[in-house]
Amino acid sequence: MDKKLILSIVTPQEVYLEEIPVDFVALPAFEGEMGILPGHAPFMVQLKDGLLRYRTNAEESVFAILGGFAQIENDRVTILAEGADLAKEIDEEKERQAYQRARDALAMKGADIDLDAAQAALRKAALRMKIAELRRKRRK
Amino acid sequence: MASLRDIRRHIASVKNIKQITYAMKMVAAARIKRAQKAIFNSRPFALKMEETVRNLFAEMEEEDFKSSPTHRLFEKKSEKNCIGLVMVTADKGLCGSFNINVLKTAVKWLRNNRGKKIKVIAVGKKGRDFCKRLRGLDLEIFYEMIGIFPKVSYVHSNILCDEILKLYHNEADEIKLIYTEFKSMMSQSVETKNVLPLKSLKFSGEKGRMDDFEFEPHKASLLEALLPRYIKAEFYRILLESQAAELAARMNAMENASKNAADIIEGLTLKLNKTRQAMITTELTEIVSGAQALGG
Repeated sequence: MDKKLILSIVTPQEVYLEEIPVDFVALPAFEGEMGILPGHAPFMVQLKDGLLRYRTNAEESVFAILGGFAQIENDRVTILAEGADLAKEIDEEKERQAYQRARDALAMKGADIDLDAAQAALRKAALRMKIAELRRKRRK
Repeated sequence: MASLRDIRRHIASVKNIKQITYAMKMVAAARIKRAQKAIFNSRPFALKMEETVRNLFAEMEEEDFKSSPTHRLFEKKSEKNCIGLVMVTADKGLCGSFNINVLKTAVKWLRNNRGKKIKVIAVGKKGRDFCKRLRGLDLEIFYEMIGIFPKVSYVHSNILCDEILKLYHNEADEIKLIYTEFKSMMSQSVETKNVLPLKSLKFSGEKGRMDDFEFEPHKASLLEALLPRYIKAEFYRILLESQAAELAARMNAMENASKNAADIIEGLTLKLNKTRQAMITTELTEIVSGAQALGG
């Protein structure tokens, strides 16, 4: 396979990936996971929280994506996400603690704003935990 | 005339103040680097977002658009005689005229809009306190966001925009924004903007470049999901700008304060030495004249 997809992942905080060539991308699309190979039709799709996988040669990498959009055009895949994390960098134990902290904060019900921030943190930690778990299973 | 001890005490207290202002300056200087980087990092996302919205918008059929709930974000309403005002200030003082400038602009704006009902969304403690102090206006605080500086993240912008959209959909005809733009380390300027209804996009009539695109879900609901995110990306930038501007203002103010403190210390030290010398001279004169009187 000669043709490659050009993948970019952009979030408000950071540009995670800038135009790297990959062979295959799987997106957590709105209505189920969606695989993309070079030569895909132009497409625009809403994403939900979930895993984004991509493969370069034989190597597969996983990203955690928090909501957003993907645009596919001329073999360029651009992801606009609210948050993204490379799965390799996620530490399961740390996330479990973050999850617990967020849960505690929610249970205490402080001021309005803390509550909202805690809810977002909870959502993020839950997703990251899921990813860490998945990675562990795959390694076994 | 102040005694030596008084002057010494004064010098010591000014020195303390200088230490504090200098420390604050260094803290602001360290933080502003991060704040600037955050602005820089948020740019690609905002640009891509705008491009996507513009392209998608060009794809919309006018009928489709009119029937979808998104068009409410564009339509000018006037039935409720109520305006929403988003005001971005700092949480803390000691940053020169940063807060004052925003509040002055707000006062001017409020004066021009007397007689209308005003709902304020206050970001930053200073702005909220200012609104609480105001009397004789039909003004109400709709939502306040305190304690987010200097650690603004996208989550905050998310929460803020949800509130703004709630206000716009339920109560207000339009939403205005007053905030400080970070121009450079030396200059920050207060900006007034219309947030909603959105005006920047228009039907061009011709086909956009996404003509052959497929969409999932379909265009209208995609746009509906995209627009709030577009606004959020914009507000994320605004919060970051204001944060950087606050830090820059504080850095300058504290640098000036440290400089002034150094000047005062210099002046006081001079005064101290003069007083001491004067005292010695007087004492000497007294001794000499005393000896002369005795010895003859």
